[in-house]
Amino acid sequence: MAARKRSGLSTGFTIFQYIICIILAILSLLPFIIMLVNATRSSSEIQANAISFIPGKSLLTNYKVFDGKSFNPWTGFINSAIISVCATACTIYFSTLTAYTLVAYDWKAKKAFFALIMCVLMIPGQVTAIGFYQFMYKVGLVNSFIPLILPAIAAPATVFFMRQYMLPSLSMEIVQSARIDGAGEFRIFNQIVLPLMKPAMATQAIFSFVATWNALFIPLILLIDRKKWTMPIMVAQLQGDMYKTEYGAVYLALVMTVLPLFVVYFLLSKYIIAGVALGGVKE
Amino acid sequence: MKKAISLIAALSMLLGCTACGGSSSSDKPADTTASKAADTTKAPDDGKKQTINLYAFTDEVPNMVKRYIETHEDFGKQYELKVTQIPTTNQEYQPALDAALKNGGVDMFAAEAAFVKKYTQGDMSQYVSSYEDLGIQDVNDKIKSAEIAQYTVDIGTKDGKVVGLGYQATGGAFIYRRSIAKAVWGTDDPAQIKDKVGPGWDKFWAAAAELKAKGYGIVSGDGDVWHAVENGSDKGWLTDDGKLYIDPKREQFLDISKQLTDKGWSNKTQDWTHAWYADMRDYGGQNEEEKDGQKIVTKDSDIKTADTKQIFGYFGPAWLINYVIVNQVNGTAKGQGTFGDWAICESPVGFFWGGTWVLGTKDSKVKDGVAKIIEWITLDTTEDGLQYKWANGTLYDKPGAKDAVASAVVMKKSDGKNDLLDGQNMFEVFVPANSSAKGSTLTQYDEAINAEWRDQVRAYAKGDKSKEAAIKDFKTVVNDKFGIAAAE
Amino acid sequence: MNKSQRHLKGLSYAKYGYLFAIPFIVIFLIFQLYPTLYTAFIGFTDMKGVNPVHVLDHPFDNFKDIVHNQTFLKSLRNTVVIWIMNFIPQITLALILTAWFTSRTSKLKGQGFFKVVFYMPNIITAATIAILFSTLFGFPTGPVNQLLKSWGIRATAFDFMTSKSASKLIVAFIQFWTWYGNTMILLVSGVLGISPDIYEAADIDGANGVQTFFRITLPNLKTVLLYTLITSMIGGLNMFDIPLLFNRGGPDGATTTASVFIYQVAFTGTNLYYRAAAASMVLFVIVLILSAILFYLMRDKDAIAMEKMKKAERKKHKMKERRGF
Repeated sequence: MAARKRSGLSTGFTIFQYIICIILAILSLLPFIIMLVNATRSSSEIQANAISFIPGKSLLTNYKVFDGKSFNPWTGFINSAIISVCATACTIYFSTLTAYTLVAYDWKAKKAFFALIMCVLMIPGQVTAIGFYQFMYKVGLVNSFIPLILPAIAAPATVFFMRQYMLPSLSMEIVQSARIDGAGEFRIFNQIVLPLMKPAMATQAIFSFVATWNALFIPLILLIDRKKWTMPIMVAQLQGDMYKTEYGAVYLALVMTVLPLFVVYFLLSKYIIAGVALGGVKE
Repeated sequence: MKKAISLIAALSMLLGCTACGGSSSSDKPADTTASKAADTTKAPDDGKKQTINLYAFTDEVPNMVKRYIETHEDFGKQYELKVTQIPTTNQEYQPALDAALKNGGVDMFAAEAAFVKKYTQGDMSQYVSSYEDLGIQDVNDKIKSAEIAQYTVDIGTKDGKVVGLGYQATGGAFIYRRSIAKAVWGTDDPAQIKDKVGPGWDKFWAAAAELKAKGYGIVSGDGDVWHAVENGSDKGWLTDDGKLYIDPKREQFLDISKQLTDKGWSNKTQDWTHAWYADMRDYGGQNEEEKDGQKIVTKDSDIKTADTKQIFGYFGPAWLINYVIVNQVNGTAKGQGTFGDWAICESPVGFFWGGTWVLGTKDSKVKDGVAKIIEWITLDTTEDGLQYKWANGTLYDKPGAKDAVASAVVMKKSDGKNDLLDGQNMFEVFVPANSSAKGSTLTQYDEAINAEWRDQVRAYAKGDKSKEAAIKDFKTVVNDKFGIAAAE
Repeated sequence: MNKSQRHLKGLSYAKYGYLFAIPFIVIFLIFQLYPTLYTAFIGFTDMKGVNPVHVLDHPFDNFKDIVHNQTFLKSLRNTVVIWIMNFIPQITLALILTAWFTSRTSKLKGQGFFKVVFYMPNIITAATIAILFSTLFGFPTGPVNQLLKSWGIRATAFDFMTSKSASKLIVAFIQFWTWYGNTMILLVSGVLGISPDIYEAADIDGANGVQTFFRITLPNLKTVLLYTLITSMIGGLNMFDIPLLFNRGGPDGATTTASVFIYQVAFTGTNLYYRAAAASMVLFVIVLILSAILFYLMRDKDAIAMEKMKKAERKKHKMKERRGF
């Protein structure tokens, strides 16, 4: 083999590749390791020496700092979970349905509709924020989860992805035979099309979940009742002076916000990587 | 899969509906009961309580009101409290409060010094009720007999009528380290240190030079001085016709800041940052070695930068001592950390920093209730009133921090002894400090404008730009972001 | 396809196409189109704080003002600079890693692990990352400063937060750090999508790894690269959470991006909604124009040709069918 001939050079190069990869891996992991370790150390330990790989014994003390303060991880967790789960369910279900209309039916406005979806894709989130904010105040949907969940039904990026996935994988023959068996269109979609889309739905579910979980801007201006706060809002408040002094508690709070994401990620990392790839190949 | 999906869909709809049902049901019935109760004028025994909607940016005022309801049974039978709390960290409080005021969903609210003028005299004052209209009688007489700090009254007065008052007084003192005072001047007596650091900035800088000669910094960063400069100036940021005005004394702050940096009189920290706190505790409590008045080289030198100095003091009101410094001194008794190594004396210039005002709204349907609470918080000088409990740390069952309060009468009969200050009675300094502070320099957009000003001052002090450029950039940014053109 | 199928697919089922598109359209109209139009409308008014709203006598004044607003223009420049500072290293590193991970001569072990770890920062809440980094770069005792000193790189602590270029650099680095893994995975999948036949042909011609990469892989990645460019650009122009939370857009406005500017104008100080709305629309138009240019560049000429052919084919087919009737 050609590779073997210049094995000296190529071994050297391989080692170089590994070194770079390992450095990058450390770069990815280090901040989180510091965060995890410091979550267990007291504020004075952290001030004396911010980097340490030996866990301290102040985890509980740090946790107690949250007592009665506006950082309430469990409330934030539940609120974020409700919003993220509902919004993800909406996104996945309705995006698949919308994609289905684009793939399975011939209707006059289809082209225009698809163009519209592509245009919506372009609208930056912050652009509509001012109108959205004024509008939500007018209709009294402040402090409600509705404006954070319902808009998820119209998720152009997900529709686009679903369409790209559905085009080659949905066979119209199956749909036809179901029709001949007398199945209604809605039932065909729910019973036949949805199961076919499982892999695409799984990956999009993860993206949508992560995106909703991490959303800050709109929740920040809409959820003013602190009982309704999501996790990222609470994290953003950590910069407030109340916690500035409690470094251990800040790190612990950060850990608590990312922990659910870590769990989801490492359980589903296979789908995530595959999902990103899926999006790339099809476009 | 289908079942799972439909279940999720069903669940999401259900949750969506309960979420909406929840929010609307908590809003609407409250409204209807409120209006109903207002029609039938107080019906305490029909079991339905009237709701007081309170907006606040910390839990301080909500907790006070809760405590009032707990301790006043009759009141508790009649009213219940609904709190909306939004921190002002990223300046989110004002937009939310403004929208709520417009829609009539607020009965009383708290406002911070940085934006209180917007509600007492500025853009939003049309929604606020005067104390008299709420139903508090003889407001002006009560203010006089309670000796409420004049600056808090000035800030809370619109067209000669009081619309907002505070419970706290935030007149500032100079808070210094006893051990360093002894090392430099051989005394830690506030009466003598007062003459070393003041009055006036010239004496303060002379003291800074003396401290520097012995290796100390006079303040931690320029932010400490800013609060004194801000309220020590003659005029605020806005002229009467809403133009941006830079008071010469504020402009001087550019030089002050640069001088602090260039002459090494501070540790160049920003307030509310890591390093600023670290200066309060000497980077980890080595002060058992300082007792003999010697400057010590700290053992864990890797924490400090080469030019990190021990810091002599801070400018601040009582809350800085009892809510901030006390948590940073690395100890809870004399001898531990810097605990007990502090003292306060008169500031070289009069100033105040922060403070909370309590306001009631015009459209409130529960004015009677709001009036009772506000009177208890701001004007009641008895031992049952809030201010007495606040000054003595006895509001809650657990002994709490002592704080300076608006009424001098209350402070005079309260115990201001503070162990952090080695037993010094802090009220002796804060009563005159409160009367020398003035409220005329406050404007309604201070929060936003100050942030831009400090940003430019830092750039200048660092040597990034000239003074002229800093002032010009400041004017440009304020005009561009807030539509406030420079005067001239 | 027989006739009955065509009938089933085409004619009588079209109404379901409309029906199933209704949820999307309704929600889109209410929650996206209306707010967008409303924002545009605000741009023509004097809406400020809580004052009553009037349409301006000269409706385009706000737009005229905003394009002369120095701070807004500076925020646009900041946005572009930070985006470029992040995108160039990001795409370069992603390409290098892609070349390594898809190299057919030497297989790196542990690729799965590396991919998972490189992608990881992308899933973490931006707010968390911003605060984490501002803590890491704390002055003078943050972890980074401690490292610099213990390694002897600097004698004294460096105040990253008051240095304009350092702050910009850190924000760009955070963006880079969160996105290069994503870009790499996209590119890897793009490479895997290239037909192996082309590579075999190259092997036969005796092309080495580097040649193969530049002559075959890169040209074939054009679509994926442009896709990355567009998504990254739209995301980059909207950069908000990280600059706002990392250093509040400072120091001296160095990390104030267009979105941070809009947020500050609308939601702090004097609440100039009209000015923020006008700025929003300008930003929108910029995104639209840039996207249109890129879309035009990335349009797949072959696919368009194919589509045209298909259409012609279909027409012929239909004609035939009609004749058949």
